[in-house]
Amino acid sequence: MQQVEELKGRVKELIVRQLKLEIEPASIKDDAPLFGDDPGGLGLDSIDALELVLGIEKEFGIKVQDEEVGVKAFASVNALCEFVESKAA
Amino acid sequence: MNPCREELPHVYPFRFVERTVEKRGPAEGRVRALVTVNGRRTEAGSFLPPLTLVEVVAQAALLLEGGDPGIGRSGFLAGVSDFTFDRTPESGDVLEVEVRIAGVLGSIVRFEGVVTDGEGRLVASGAVTVKKGAAA
Repeated sequence: MQQVEELKGRVKELIVRQLKLEIEPASIKDDAPLFGDDPGGLGLDSIDALELVLGIEKEFGIKVQDEEVGVKAFASVNALCEFVESKAA
Repeated sequence: MNPCREELPHVYPFRFVERTVEKRGPAEGRVRALVTVNGRRTEAGSFLPPLTLVEVVAQAALLLEGGDPGIGRSGFLAGVSDFTFDRTPESGDVLEVEVRIAGVLGSIVRFEGVVTDGEGRLVASGAVTVKKGAAA
């Protein structure tokens, strides 16, 4: 459980750092959509997705090149953590 | 017909790269660009405006990628990041542009480029992000 929370923290910090967002990492909700126009989400776009791909590769050593995989993996912090865990397993 | 003309849709006065010097893979390798006092792009003086180097890197990447005119015409520059300009290119300089792919996601590609002069001095470096296809 603690590992999951640590991973979520790392992922949130990665999102803020990589995208140069001016928000506190902790303010990102675990299940909030990262992309799209949802008012509760971050409103990221496809260029931001590439930034995240580069950040994930740098931070976790995981490559993402398939757009469909990326769309699913970057749906939310929870989805991204599940993706990282599945690749690390 | 100059083969390079076939490989890029860009033409005077917006064609900045001359030819591929070394191709190591898709959009990875080395491209040469010349700065001439007679060139349109040095009209403001005998130097190449530094911001033009962003386009130099983008054109070098496209040339290495195969220079598909269709891609060149339908793709667009989506972002510029971490660019530094260390030296203003002057007429007579033979620039070399090292390009590699930093990341790909679907139709979006980021290229990293390093521009040096004929004596190996750093001129500029940075990344350009290109989206292939029409703008959304």
